[in-house]
Amino acid sequence: MKFFYLSIFLLAWPVFTAATAHKFYVSTTKIEYVEEKQSLQVISKIFIDDMEDVLQKRYDPKLSLDTQKERPLDEEYLKKYVLQKLKIKVDGKEIPLHYLGREYENDVVKIFMEASSIQPFKTMEVGNSLLFDLTTQQQNIVHAKYGDERQSLVLDADNPNGLLNFNETSK
Amino acid sequence: MRLFKYASVVLLFFFAGTVIAQDSEDKTERKPGHYNNNRFKQLYEEFSTPNMYRSPNGAPGPNYYQQQADYKINIELDDKNARIYGEETITYTNNSPDNLEYLWVQLDQNVRAKDSKSPLIEPDGAFPAELASDFVGKYMGAGFDGGFKIDWVKDSNGNPLPHTVNRTMMRVEMPKSLKTGEKYSFSVKWWYNIPDHTIDRARSGYEVFEDGNKGYVIAQFYPRMCVYSDVEGWQNSQFWGRDEFALPFGTFDVSITVPSDHVLDATGMLQNRKEVFSKTMMDRYERAKKSYNTPVVIVTQEEAEAASKGFATTKKTWKFHADMVRDFGFATSRRFIWDMMAVKIGNRDIMAVSVYPPEGNPLWGEWSTKVVASTLKSYSRMTFDYPYHKAISVHAKNQGMEYPMICWNYGRPDKDGSYSERTKYGMFGVIIHEVGHNFFPMIVNSDERQWTWMDEGINTFVQYVAEQDFGQSYPEAIAPNKTYPSQRGPAKNIVDYMAGDQDRLAPIMTKGLNTYNFGANAYSKPATALNILRETIMGRDLFDYSFRTYAQRWMFKHPTPEDFFRTMEDASAIDLDWYWREWFYTTDYVDIGVEGVKKYYVTSKMNKEVKELIAARGMKESDLPPLVYLVEEGSEDFDEDMKSGTLNDVVTLQEYIMDNIDPLDRATLKNPKYFYEVTFEKPGGIPMPIIAEYTYSDGSKERITYPAQIWRKNDQSVGKVVASEKEIVKIVVDPDEETADIDTSNNTWPKEEKAGEFETFKNKIKGE
Repeated sequence: MKFFYLSIFLLAWPVFTAATAHKFYVSTTKIEYVEEKQSLQVISKIFIDDMEDVLQKRYDPKLSLDTQKERPLDEEYLKKYVLQKLKIKVDGKEIPLHYLGREYENDVVKIFMEASSIQPFKTMEVGNSLLFDLTTQQQNIVHAKYGDERQSLVLDADNPNGLLNFNETSK
Repeated sequence: MRLFKYASVVLLFFFAGTVIAQDSEDKTERKPGHYNNNRFKQLYEEFSTPNMYRSPNGAPGPNYYQQQADYKINIELDDKNARIYGEETITYTNNSPDNLEYLWVQLDQNVRAKDSKSPLIEPDGAFPAELASDFVGKYMGAGFDGGFKIDWVKDSNGNPLPHTVNRTMMRVEMPKSLKTGEKYSFSVKWWYNIPDHTIDRARSGYEVFEDGNKGYVIAQFYPRMCVYSDVEGWQNSQFWGRDEFALPFGTFDVSITVPSDHVLDATGMLQNRKEVFSKTMMDRYERAKKSYNTPVVIVTQEEAEAASKGFATTKKTWKFHADMVRDFGFATSRRFIWDMMAVKIGNRDIMAVSVYPPEGNPLWGEWSTKVVASTLKSYSRMTFDYPYHKAISVHAKNQGMEYPMICWNYGRPDKDGSYSERTKYGMFGVIIHEVGHNFFPMIVNSDERQWTWMDEGINTFVQYVAEQDFGQSYPEAIAPNKTYPSQRGPAKNIVDYMAGDQDRLAPIMTKGLNTYNFGANAYSKPATALNILRETIMGRDLFDYSFRTYAQRWMFKHPTPEDFFRTMEDASAIDLDWYWREWFYTTDYVDIGVEGVKKYYVTSKMNKEVKELIAARGMKESDLPPLVYLVEEGSEDFDEDMKSGTLNDVVTLQEYIMDNIDPLDRATLKNPKYFYEVTFEKPGGIPMPIIAEYTYSDGSKERITYPAQIWRKNDQSVGKVVASEKEIVKIVVDPDEETADIDTSNNTWPKEEKAGEFETFKNKIKGE
């Protein structure tokens, strides 16, 4: 089954070579509900540079990601920050996200999270204020998938929360 | 008579499907007619008609012309106040057949003037919190006092010339119109405040180092002529900040006065090297001209750091001359290290040069000049021998910007000199890209203001080739990777973009300013489209010859997209209209898969379909010519014995062979046992070749590529019959992921469930 697609590198280009126009501040989070496992699977993709910036400012100027200088503590900060800034409610109730780990891919850090024992639901509310404390230009794109139904949100500092309705026929 | 009957029987089977379809359609309303909407239709409507300026083969036409602008410029840098004062004389030659009543001059710095409209076209919203500095700039009217301050515009006799400034454009009104072949000279005096390029990401400006010294990377510092062409007339579309430039070629004589403790390099030949170089520098320079593998340092880190402690009040003037350039840039600071080496291109020695502050080391001293040299070799191979005498890579924080012979590049190590892989590859990539811009658009001088992809996309494509070359030339630079990890170029890296929300996509053939995802639209997608064209559609030989033809035809000229499209076809004999249409004129995407596979066995026993058909037409079996029947596995006529049967059991076939084929030739006949009807589907719009890999029961594989034209009459699905001696156990479409197929879940038969990204990660951490 195809998962849905993310426009991560291409939607968001951290530095324009030869066109030093304004940098785009974009992250992408995909959320998929897998009914047979009662699992809500979340992957957030964020530019490493931006993430490093915000964590250095919030926690520790020595923090470093994806370099030889990265310390175990740095992943703790990453986890703490992401779990603070990403909130998901299903049918109006906040669900606890469990941090599984992170992976680096070129310029991007991918953060894997999961909520288990999630019963089928009708609505999902996503609050994603990642990096809004770094820049007001930040946009966080959310792609959600439930069965065959896909929906997207674009969240920004003005609008950090979005509600998605999944209709009955898709279940 | 007999022949006629056979033919009609065959036709009968052929049209059976159509007849049935017509029967059922009689009941529905007749569909209206339509224009030719075939995806393989020629681009007559999109392309303009060729004319005497631009030929139908994609070459410059017999009446092709271009204007010339020659500059004499005197500049002084005020390092203390970060200002530039300048005076210039422009001599403009009208080679067009038109009379020009006025001339248009670009005032690019005005994009940062206080009354600039650039911020006004960016929609925004109120945020709960703003940085104090942003707030003051946005709402309280403070901020940088940018823009050209024009002191005067005069004619060659010193009389004031009427002129009108419309934002970033200035109209110079001549006393009488300039006729074909005539020249006109005028002078301008101006000054401006240099912006700090690290704040608003200007394409030129200064950065302040920790010791208070400034590093200048200066361009768009003088009023520049607009292009007048057969396509646009005056290209005076305003500069909003993102879309780049259109500039005519000319000769530049530029004198730049800076503090005497500065070093400086620029576009063009240095005319007074002995006046501005010390004896030591001269000696080192002479050695560098003979060093082909290792850069020779002209100004060392120690010397740059020692100079950084002073602040000269005396001045030095550096004089440059450049022919056949469209622009001029320079870099200067007292805190610059300078190295260079020679690189052989054709039979000429070119100087590969790097200029960087100590902040760039150790990365820059180690790699910059080698990357420049490698880039010149790769691009020269793909296009034409680099015609200028040097190429300079200057290190400026956060910059990636190109000018003739000189460019600014990012890639800064941490303060302790360590750097991440990200920083290193960022630096390699940007140097290759910006040095590569010497070819596109500095020499193959397309209109950047209108067609961002023509310089950025084409350049990013060659960048990919040059990156792969660099990885091969310097394996130690990319270890432990075996090949250079290019981000833009490989087909599968564009998939996420192509699969994105259609409301936020624009065709490549869109003015750069109006695209949604600038990086993907103007850089990655065209680069990938050209890479796919080279590797999958045309093949390297035909592509490379045609691409070189384009570059050489338009070297030192102004090409349009059509000149490129037409040349690629004309030089290769491959009809590419469909490819340009789909990849460049639409936002469509590729998705091709296997819809289904039917397995057939051969028999001489008449099957149900034929029985029904002849019954309906009142025919008898004896009316039919000898036929071989195909029976689908699992159908009514199928029985298990057919599986063990061979072609020898089919009487009609054997009779035909005995009667018609020479005994010696009979042995060479293939003896297929398995017959498959494979149906390929195309949920995506773009027709692409179907690259099908068949795996047989003995593990052997065979790859058949059906050209894209297989889709010309049916845009949704097509069938192909595969006859083989071995059983097929697997079919994969596009097995090497070379077509940018956005959904590979339908690419395999039998269907394979692929673990998603999430499950893959979870399994990986479980295993750890």
